[in-house]
Amino acid sequence: MVANSGTAAGDGRFRPLNEPSPAAVEATPRGAPKAMLWRGTYRRVVAVHDTWRIDDEWWRDEIARRYFVVELEGGRRLTIFHDLVRDLWYQQAYDAPKAGAPMGRKRAG
Amino acid sequence: MQVACLLVADFLVALARRDDPSLRGQPVIVGGSPEEHAAVVACSPEAVAAGVGIGTTLRRALALCPKAVFLPHREGVAAEAAGALLDLLRLYSPAVEAIAPGHAHLDIHGLAEMARMDDAAYLRDLQESAENASGLPVSLAAADTVFAAHAAATVQARGAMLVHAGEARAFLGRLPVEVLPVSPLMHQRLRLFGLNWLGQVAELTFSAMQAQFGREGARAWELANGRDDARIVPRPEEVRVSEELELPAPAALSEPLIAGTRALLLRALEHREIKGHSLRRLDWRLGLESGEQLGRRCVFREPTNDAARMLFALQPKIERLQLPAAAVSVGVTLSGLCSEYGHQANLWQVGPRRHRELLEAVEQLNTRVGGPQVFRIVEVQGWSRIPERQLGMVAFGP
Repeated sequence: MVANSGTAAGDGRFRPLNEPSPAAVEATPRGAPKAMLWRGTYRRVVAVHDTWRIDDEWWRDEIARRYFVVELEGGRRLTIFHDLVRDLWYQQAYDAPKAGAPMGRKRAG
Repeated sequence: MQVACLLVADFLVALARRDDPSLRGQPVIVGGSPEEHAAVVACSPEAVAAGVGIGTTLRRALALCPKAVFLPHREGVAAEAAGALLDLLRLYSPAVEAIAPGHAHLDIHGLAEMARMDDAAYLRDLQESAENASGLPVSLAAADTVFAAHAAATVQARGAMLVHAGEARAFLGRLPVEVLPVSPLMHQRLRLFGLNWLGQVAELTFSAMQAQFGREGARAWELANGRDDARIVPRPEEVRVSEELELPAPAALSEPLIAGTRALLLRALEHREIKGHSLRRLDWRLGLESGEQLGRRCVFREPTNDAARMLFALQPKIERLQLPAAAVSVGVTLSGLCSEYGHQANLWQVGPRRHRELLEAVEQLNTRVGGPQVFRIVEVQGWSRIPERQLGMVAFGP
């Protein structure tokens, strides 16, 4: 990791990384993904390997997301999440936060 | 028959006895001399009977078996002998899998018919060829499954054996549980339960074996019942380059040996097959006036194609040698070809001059395209559970 250079912020000098990208997902009535549009084709979700939920910043712009690590037909694994506030689906790579995070990930029972 | 297993039991010991027939019948321990801080690499059944095992320290091995003959581990010689056996097997079968030195599995489906021989005659021919070529006692067995072939090769000291289709279960039933490829602890546990033969294991139910012994028990049950879906996995033939030279006069000092080795390495590195590639392994061998061969092996931590670096790693081993006779020839074999040619340096960890050049290049690019084009990834809120808050990109620049 690179140390903070102290460079002044300016137009275009800071960009976010790993922003979620919209995804077309078909879900069951209970909210589990069952198919996803991937490279122009709807592919069935053959397995959900992990799922968890994060809730944060309720005091301002509420964030409530349920994440899924899914495996599509053909073996591709992706991390997607359902934005529970806006009822939209997104795809996003997920890394566990570093030690010292205020609360751990809550896994679905 | 589908699969054959070729096995030279106690390969290193068999190699030593081939080179010195007077060692037959004597306890032999391979690994070095008892004064060395090393462990037993291989030992003969006579030494095993005295309590010596692989991994026993040499000092303890001496205490357990004082009459044993202690021999150095000649890695280069062993590798060459094992390689020669594999080369012979590849003449007989297109799919040969090397399991360990002196132990290989080969696919022989249909090969006897192609040679217009019956299965037994084909096996005998292969076994005799391997014995004649290597001078080692070879056990060769064939069956429909890898495990049955391997078990059959294990139970005989030498010769050829064929386990006919349909007879595998009955054949395996008579074998001791030690032929199962499970941990030694599992063997002990089977014995403690009174399960001494594979036939007894096969008679139990699968669920009982799995419940008592877990995954190893399930595997043992399948193998005892002749169910083995293992396949031969041949590895691609390794590229090896060898060079030899006869010394102008017998040499007992290290300097001429080092000089000769340097010349050999430079010559070997010019070979078309390895030019431009880095290598991981160097096998060095010395032919002595007495007819004996000494060998040493170097495996480089980082692949290299620099003769000076190879010699730097090998030189201490040459200087430590105590030759029983003068050396008359030197040879090297280079192998372990890698595609790696060099190391990718870190773009950001360069000297001040290169750093200034980098900044200039980035500024030129930004001006040409408009706006920052090169960014550094920085940690913003590494502790955040929201992924897009953890990292960010900051424009690279002064």
